[in-house]
Amino acid sequence: MSDRATPRGLSRRAILAGVAGAAGWAILPAGSSVGASARPRGLAVPAEVPNPSTEIHLAGTDGWVSMPGDAPAIPPFWPDPLARENSNLYVFGFRDVTGMSPDEVTAQRGKAQISAPMLSFDQETDVKITLTNLGLSMRPDLTDGHTVHWHGFQNAIPLFDGVPELSISVPIGRDFTYFYRPHDPGTYMYHCHFEDVEHVQMGMTGMLFVRPVQNDGTHGVPAGTYAYNCGDGSTRYDREFAFMMTEIWAESHYRDAHIQVNDWTDFEPSFFALNGRVYPDTVKPNAPDFDPVKAGADARYDPRLQYQPISSLITCNSGERVLLRLANLGYRNHAVTVDGIDLTVVGKDAGLLRGRDGTPNYQVTNTVEIGPGESRDVIFEAPAVDRPTTFLLYDRDYVSLTNSGGRGYGGQMTEIRVYPTGTLAPQAGANT
Amino acid sequence: MPSLNRALRRVAPFALVAAIIGVLVVPGPQSSAAAPTDGLECETSPSNSFSLTASGGYISTPDGNSIYMWSYGDTGGSFQFPGPTLCVESGANVTVVLHNALSEPTSIMFPGQNKVLAGGKPAQPENDANGNLSSLTTTAAANNGSVTYTFVAGAPGTYLYQSGTDVQKQQQMGLFGALVVRTKGHPDQENGRADSTFDPAHEYLYMLSEVDPDAHLAVERKRTYNWNNYTPRYFMINGRSMPDTIAPNHAEWLPNQPYGALIHIRPYDEQTNPRPALIRYLNAGTTNYPFHPHGSDEQLIARDGHPAQAPDGKDLSYSNFLIDPAPGQTVDTLMTWKDAEHWNSATNPVPVPLPQLQDQIVGPGTETWFSESPYLGESDAQLPPGVVQNNQCGEYYHVAHSHALQQATNFGASFGGMMTLIRIDPPAGCPGQ
Repeated sequence: MSDRATPRGLSRRAILAGVAGAAGWAILPAGSSVGASARPRGLAVPAEVPNPSTEIHLAGTDGWVSMPGDAPAIPPFWPDPLARENSNLYVFGFRDVTGMSPDEVTAQRGKAQISAPMLSFDQETDVKITLTNLGLSMRPDLTDGHTVHWHGFQNAIPLFDGVPELSISVPIGRDFTYFYRPHDPGTYMYHCHFEDVEHVQMGMTGMLFVRPVQNDGTHGVPAGTYAYNCGDGSTRYDREFAFMMTEIWAESHYRDAHIQVNDWTDFEPSFFALNGRVYPDTVKPNAPDFDPVKAGADARYDPRLQYQPISSLITCNSGERVLLRLANLGYRNHAVTVDGIDLTVVGKDAGLLRGRDGTPNYQVTNTVEIGPGESRDVIFEAPAVDRPTTFLLYDRDYVSLTNSGGRGYGGQMTEIRVYPTGTLAPQAGANT
Repeated sequence: MPSLNRALRRVAPFALVAAIIGVLVVPGPQSSAAAPTDGLECETSPSNSFSLTASGGYISTPDGNSIYMWSYGDTGGSFQFPGPTLCVESGANVTVVLHNALSEPTSIMFPGQNKVLAGGKPAQPENDANGNLSSLTTTAAANNGSVTYTFVAGAPGTYLYQSGTDVQKQQQMGLFGALVVRTKGHPDQENGRADSTFDPAHEYLYMLSEVDPDAHLAVERKRTYNWNNYTPRYFMINGRSMPDTIAPNHAEWLPNQPYGALIHIRPYDEQTNPRPALIRYLNAGTTNYPFHPHGSDEQLIARDGHPAQAPDGKDLSYSNFLIDPAPGQTVDTLMTWKDAEHWNSATNPVPVPLPQLQDQIVGPGTETWFSESPYLGESDAQLPPGVVQNNQCGEYYHVAHSHALQQATNFGASFGGMMTLIRIDPPAGCPGQ
């Protein structure tokens, strides 16, 4: 049974509502872009039963992060002489301030992180994301707005799409709440769309994914973790790891910190990051709870990476199925390669790779090409090993394996560490 | 950071639509059917014979620059960039006569078309007196030479036609256009498959290209140019950059850039509006153009004139929020936008508060396309003083742009370049239109 066929089953809310209570049901139209036949996600939703809901509070601001200190200098641009302790690169970014008091939120000014907090939601959940603009600590002369653009959200309305000229943006000291009701599982990304060429380059980019309703076990497959409503278990996984791929043009970051202007058509990146870090930082652990504030007080954690909290290290046991969620918010195409393990591409742009008639279109490869603004969902089965074994995941575009033009052991590279069966406990969350 | 050279000339195109129709002058045997104000504009000929002249002329960019280009225009007509969109039916015997008004040889290649003849003989690469390759295909001589190409139109789909001579220079200078091969007997299908059906009233062309103004200045002044220094600064759809992309076809202030790129649709409706729009992407540049339509996915149904299907005919099309054509490639997509939640101010309001004007940034420039209402077909007239409202009846606008974001700029200034808008009218349309 395909993703397209899934809605023949009853949604969790439909069951909650009682099947007989058909009066007052709102019929949501199919979510697809190509007519009713394509993805009939026309779930019959009992309007009187509220969806599950979740609320997130993000703040947009600036800050400082760290690229490896042994990379060749790019005088005078990098390392940036204005940088504070343990850092060398100026950025803009988001912070997760959910649950904080207003004073605590304000205190996050100048403490942006890259990559942005990783967000995930269950399909058919009512999502509210409140964005607060904290302003730029280094640039009191700038009054830039910020927005949240959920990149790839289907059938969006302009108010919640985050494009300033076609919507609104959030001034400094104000906030705005975006609302989403995701119907389409898969891997997305989010970013600020205010002066997008600048704010995206400066670091306001993050991963976002939607988990399919079939995870609950009521759609013809056992309860579990799946990438899509595949209906046949082919997108089941044991562990998931997400990778926000970006390029960092150090000169432009310097110019933003030093009140100079950029010609963005001169774009020439110096660092190539996975989740805001370059190799070998990519394999260092997550900040505890992914939280830069807590991380700062945690002796286990590298203070250099306080504002780059997300690890890209992949760990798994033999025989486990591993989902890689890839998204590229750089401005160049990349080619993600794994040596020694076959990769199966099951999704592109938050869409299951099946024709409109259900024909399978998965691709088995060892190199996944991914352009700017694209996402891919890739599953591999960890090979059998009798001792811990390391495989490399890297960008076959070798230029992206250097840190500011140094040796080719940096950039968009990380490790897949496979352990004998039963070594690792079940995964607690993405990228752990 | 505020842009350095934010568009100097902004346009409010929609009110001007009615005034623009009718300026079209169509020469020769070919003709453009009733010129639509937006959407793909076909040049057709009862005998499938076209006469094009390669010549030089000027285009303008939204930041006020003027660029010298070479392009194909209708013989006897005016200079235009890009070349006319030639539409023929699959299997037709097509004739294209090329007249060369340039001071160097030039030619036309038809990638995707087989057995192209030049002067009745197979079109072939040319060599100079020393035996070195001098053109990828048969040329028309410099200074008013001509050559006649003939071929049988191949499979239905979207194809480039482009110079095959000194291609780095001549294609950069603008010698390219689109060839649309239609499905015999099914003008409302992209190809022979029934699932490629689209609404012929909503067919669009995205001819994607880029310009390095230094290279064009060198050619204009007949100076040499070191192509190792090639750095594109302008990025275009149908020969225009945002916001000119959203101006109507044949906008009078863009006399040499006749083709707009605004997508103009209504929400999907199973009864009243079931057919998707068709968008034909062509990459006439030197790098991938990762094109991101906001608001809804597009279904990739064909590439380079070949349907996305298995050998047994099963469907292998797929859904995309990013279409990434490679140089020389064409991609055809179907798109719709659906009113998924049916937000309504009276019966189904959005479940979040709307900020008052003082708590939002409108623009951030001197104009907006947002109705200041979440609801399709509704608008709030309040705007800060000095901000121009381009919204007409509460219609929605989404942006569609290159996500190599330096390409979504005019010489570095954002909200420009390879970008256009998707306009979604209320189900009943905009009153008065």
